[in-house]
Order: sequence, then structure tokens, then C-alpha cells
Amino acid sequence: MVQVKKLKDGSRQIILNAKQFDEITRILSELAIKTKASTILLADISGQLITQRGNTDDINTAILSALAASDFAATSEMAKLVGEDAKFKLLFHEGEKRNVYLSNVGDNFFLVVVFDVSVTLGLVRIYTKKAIQNLIGVFDTSESDEDTKKIIDQDFTSMLGDMLDESFK
Amino acid sequence: MFINWALQEINLKIVYYGPGMSGKTTNLEYVHSRLDPTLTGELVTLKTKEDRTIFFDFMQIEVGKIKGKKPKFNLYTVPGQVYYASSRKIILNGVDGVVFVADSQKDRMEGNIETLLDLEKNLKNMGYTLENFPWVIQYNKRDLPNSESLDILQKKLNFFGVPSFNAVAVKGSGVFDTLKSVINLVVKHVQQQL
Repeated sequence: MVQVKKLKDGSRQIILNAKQFDEITRILSELAIKTKASTILLADISGQLITQRGNTDDINTAILSALAASDFAATSEMAKLVGEDAKFKLLFHEGEKRNVYLSNVGDNFFLVVVFDVSVTLGLVRIYTKKAIQNLIGVFDTSESDEDTKKIIDQDFTSMLGDMLDESFK
Repeated sequence: MFINWALQEINLKIVYYGPGMSGKTTNLEYVHSRLDPTLTGELVTLKTKEDRTIFFDFMQIEVGKIKGKKPKFNLYTVPGQVYYASSRKIILNGVDGVVFVADSQKDRMEGNIETLLDLEKNLKNMGYTLENFPWVIQYNKRDLPNSESLDILQKKLNFFGVPSFNAVAVKGSGVFDTLKSVINLVVKHVQQQL
């Protein structure tokens, strides 16, 4: 379902179909209820937001996922420097009102859980771990019902060019 | 590239690369100030007290729906200073296209070359080469009296003949042309790769 395709030039393309997306949203909703998290994001390691749950009106989640991805990547470099062969699996930021818990989901994705300090970290850890197993299960199911070629065709390219001209006047 | 079929979104990542003080952040600031606020999100800049980018700048832009699909462009800059090499590597993760912002001043040529080699090295680690990766060059600060001639800049930096643009980013000249060009290259590249 989540296809991580290697293209001819070695670049990576991630495609998520509608069924997978619904399933992911369901898992995150459940996690949000169980952990009373205020916001939950799933993003890919390059910083692109995949989906979000909870209160996302007051937070710019595109920025949060870009920052979280860099946070993750920076600590992976730190891991190397201190002689840790594997990446750090999770990061925890403790605040006065809110805490942020970040954890990888396989090699290509990560989860950001923002929760109130009144919620214990242990609880968040347990449910997040479970959610990650479920998410990996969803990512592993392989079925593709869409064709990327159909979206990014010649028409698309020329229409995009026109829209850029219009927006960048 | 990330495609979300449920939301009909296509996400592309474009990184502004270049030596320190070449005007990468200025490019983003100009785009942010001129675009319709409905098309662009907040511009986040992680700067030092001295106004130098310490990690990256980030901004997301949208151009509306095309055939029902919503393309979103995530623009990043890297910190230019040599000692932030690992930050640059991190930000290139998952990149779809690069704008190389060169400083046109004569005494910055070495910095331009050094950073271009650094870009090449980082792209190679990710399995790309400068030859087949979508990127463009922007020769910034063309208004300064000590700027190098275009001929020499082209010869020394543009050895693959990628699209190049003259710019004075503080005044906005060349900024949108550069961005448009890299977006078009990326989309064409994606098309070819399918």
C-alpha cells in the first residue's frame, strides 16, 4: 500500500493510496484518544507531512513536520558521532505545559505526539509503540490501485506552468 | 516526492543551496513577501543572533488545483557556512530539485566552487549526480560593482549547462524566474522517471 518506489535515477517516491490513508488515519485517531494527545502527526523522513490528528488548527503542522524531520536527522548524525551504529529510535522533548514524543515508524516515516504534561510518558510510550506496529503493518500491505503516470502527464506539466506564471506575477 | 491519493496531494521538496551569504534566505523572503498569502504558509527561519541561518529556512507554497490534484512545494534553504556540512546533508534528504545560489562577487568564486563540490558529494551519497539531477543556478548579486562576468561564472560553475538566471534577490529580480524554472524541471524529471 505505501509504495516506496525507487525510480530510474535512484530517487525515492512515496505513494499512499486512499485505503491506506484511511487505515493510517484510523490508527492515529485511536492513538490520540488513548494518549489524550493534543496533536499527532505522521510524516516522512524528508519532512513532508502525511497525516495529522487532534487539534491542528493552532499549529502549523507543515512546519512542525519539517522541524521534527530535521530534529530526527540531526540526532541520527549525533548517534553516529557518539558511536551508536543504529539511529536513535525516539526523541523526547519535555516542556512546562506540553511534551513532544517523536518515534520512527520503519525507515521512511516518523510519528510526532504532542501531549499534556499531566499524561505520563509511560502511557504515551506503550500506545505509541502499539500504533507503530499497526502502521508498519499497513505500510507492508502491498496493493496499488493508482497509476502515477495518470496524474503527472503532459497536460499537468503545462497547466502547472500556466499556474506558476499566474501566481508569480 | 510524496503523493497522497486520498487528499490528491503531490508534495515536492526544493532546496536552495549555496555558499554563506549568497542570498538563499533572501530568495525565500522575497517569494514569501510577494506571493498571495492564501498560497503560502509561514516562513520559518532558524537563525543565529547574527542573522545567519543555523539549520534551515522553510516555507510551503501551493498554486491551487491542477486536474483535481494539489501540488505543494516545500522550499528549504541550507546554512552556507562550511562548518554546517552535516546540516546541509540532512536537509537534502528526500530532495526533488535544487537551486544553487551563487554569489557573483569575484572574491566569492572559491566559495561557490567549494559549495558546488559539497553539493555534488552529498547528492552522490544519495545516489544522484549533478549531471542528471534537476537543478538550476542563480547568479545572485549582479548589481554589485565587483561582480564576475557571466562568461567566467558559466565556465566555472555551470559545466552541465543547466538553466541559469541573473538575480538581485534583495530587489526580487530573477527570484521567481529561478523558482519557476526549477519547479518545471522537477516536474518534467518526475514525468520522465515514471
